[in-house]
Amino acid sequence: MSRIITIIVGHFKSWYRSKSNIFWTIAFPLLLIVLFGAIFGNGSTKFDLYLQNQDLSANTPTPYSQAYIGVLNNTGAFNIHMVAAGQTVQQALDFVKNDAQLHNRGQRLLVVPAGFASELSATKKANISLYFDQSDQASQSLKGIVFAATNSYASNLSNSTTSIDIQQQNLVTRNIRYIDFFIPGVIGMTLLTTGVFGAVNTNGRYRELKIIKKLATTPLSKIEWILGMVGYQMILATISLVVILFFGYAIFGVTATIDFYTVGLVVAAALLFPGIGMVLANFVKEAESADAAANAITFPMMFLAGTFWPRETLPDIMKIIANFMPLTYVNDGLRDALIYAEPAQALTNTIIALGLAAFFIVLGSILMNWKEE
Amino acid sequence: MSRDQPAPLPGQSDKIVQVENLSKKYGDNIAVNGISFSLTKGEVFAFLGPNGAGKTTTVEILECLRNPTGGQAKVLGYDVSKRSDQAEIRKRIGVLPQDFNAIDRLTVRENINYFGAMFKHQLDADKLIELVDLKDKRDEQFKKLSGGLKQRVGLAVSLVNDPDVVFLDEPTTGLDPRARRDVWGVVERLRSQGKTVFLTTHYMDEAEYLADIVSIIDHGQIIASGTPDQLIDTHGGKKTLIIREAGEEGLKQLPPGLPKAELRNAGDIAIPLNNGELTNILMSLGQTPLHDKEIEVRRPTLDDVFLNLTGRRVSEEGN
Repeated sequence: MSRIITIIVGHFKSWYRSKSNIFWTIAFPLLLIVLFGAIFGNGSTKFDLYLQNQDLSANTPTPYSQAYIGVLNNTGAFNIHMVAAGQTVQQALDFVKNDAQLHNRGQRLLVVPAGFASELSATKKANISLYFDQSDQASQSLKGIVFAATNSYASNLSNSTTSIDIQQQNLVTRNIRYIDFFIPGVIGMTLLTTGVFGAVNTNGRYRELKIIKKLATTPLSKIEWILGMVGYQMILATISLVVILFFGYAIFGVTATIDFYTVGLVVAAALLFPGIGMVLANFVKEAESADAAANAITFPMMFLAGTFWPRETLPDIMKIIANFMPLTYVNDGLRDALIYAEPAQALTNTIIALGLAAFFIVLGSILMNWKEE
Repeated sequence: MSRDQPAPLPGQSDKIVQVENLSKKYGDNIAVNGISFSLTKGEVFAFLGPNGAGKTTTVEILECLRNPTGGQAKVLGYDVSKRSDQAEIRKRIGVLPQDFNAIDRLTVRENINYFGAMFKHQLDADKLIELVDLKDKRDEQFKKLSGGLKQRVGLAVSLVNDPDVVFLDEPTTGLDPRARRDVWGVVERLRSQGKTVFLTTHYMDEAEYLADIVSIIDHGQIIASGTPDQLIDTHGGKKTLIIREAGEEGLKQLPPGLPKAELRNAGDIAIPLNNGELTNILMSLGQTPLHDKEIEVRRPTLDDVFLNLTGRRVSEEGN
């Protein structure tokens, strides 16, 4: 055990004494967050609102519902996105969730129910439903505007005897801003690069410097060496996670939940990415070429595995390729765990990431040439 | 077996390394071809030969980094081919691999402690730093040291477990003459402490200066072994009388009846000496205009031994 700790401490000292290491592991991800957050963080000043109009007559919206939507539109406060009328409310909510995520919009759905016009004309009373995240500040503002617009519409109908009741339905899922989406991606990207390059460096460069040869002549075993490297990666991964989350919270108010899945994913990443690096270092013997190979592997993964933008925006062929990229599952898992609070999906992604981690770390360990043979 | 118990050396407790008919093949290429030698406790043993002769392969077999294809090798009585024995060997040997570098961003002291932590027992880093004369550089990061100082760190690292035998693979290759001398100084200190040292080198002067026993290896085979003096006496050829800067003119001025003289670089005249001839030749030279020239007697070196045995010389680069 003391040998493993020595290796971890050795790696760690080498890490923090290198300015470029600190830059790439800490400063670069934070810079990216600031840059991308500034560019995409605020989005439009209008509120996104999904709207499903179920009040149809011969497949066209009734004049009442049409007029109501017109009033909402005239406020100028909304970007209204229509949802197909034929869907059930649950289907509509699922669609909104995916579409909002895809386009970085807030998840809010207003449903004008079937019978809206007939209720209004018969009883001068009607219900509409607004689905939104009640904990979200933006949605609270949106709610106020919807209420005001609805009252204005109702009072215009017949001298304030008409009332439209707005049923407020809380959405379990939260409104995801771009920055909320981006921060787990940056964590995934940092784990990827520190893991792959860390392993390429310690297993490629240390081989060239004959450090591994020297260690192989001591009682240290290959397994201890690998455990030392993985332990170091776990510490680094934890530091990255904490620093990035703290920064995201301090600057952009991103609130994340660190749970069991987060821990599982950090462990998976600390095995998976060094494992990939070890496999690379064994196929590409020269340290410099191994570095180039690491770049060739990490860059496409970074861009395709949903680090900077949702994978749904990619062309179909790229989506298929992304499914084969280990980072995809780490990114998705981190988002599910940290931001979306989706335990079922987080579990699936954690299991896949751990499976891939076991595969790559075992393959890397088998391939690694500890002795010279 | 714990580190404190003596290594089993049945019947031959002073044999630190025993190699018999050792071979190593890589496909069709025979790197080491049936070599045998042994190393006694307290000896500085030099494995001398050009690049590609099989030195590193042999030393790495002894360090349990490579498996032999044939023959047997024992280190401290343990068989290098047996897995259980390899663990015992690793506890007890010190190794400085060829072209070794320690960890760049650790200091000298941290590097010594880093490698020391791989063993159950380690020597005090400060004492080792003193031994390799690096007190001033103790807290300097490895990457900031010059080549010679880096090599001295490597030496300290190779001694950190107080090994029973130290393997130094080409410890001075690529160093400038002064740095080489410094490394030699450390090896001499090890000798004075009674350490057993196995050294590989392609520098003839290094082997001659440092080693008690030299084995010359070429094309995977040992072509001669012995003390430097024995090798020189047996294979070095005759001593040579050198008359400095006498030139072609000097050749004509030589008295008759001398062995066949030749003109060398810088106009030196070289006369091969048979035993007992020196006084007569000097007396006859005293009668010629050459009597005021600088005269010296040159003893053959291991360079001459290698030349006589193989018909070629080894370059500075080891080729």
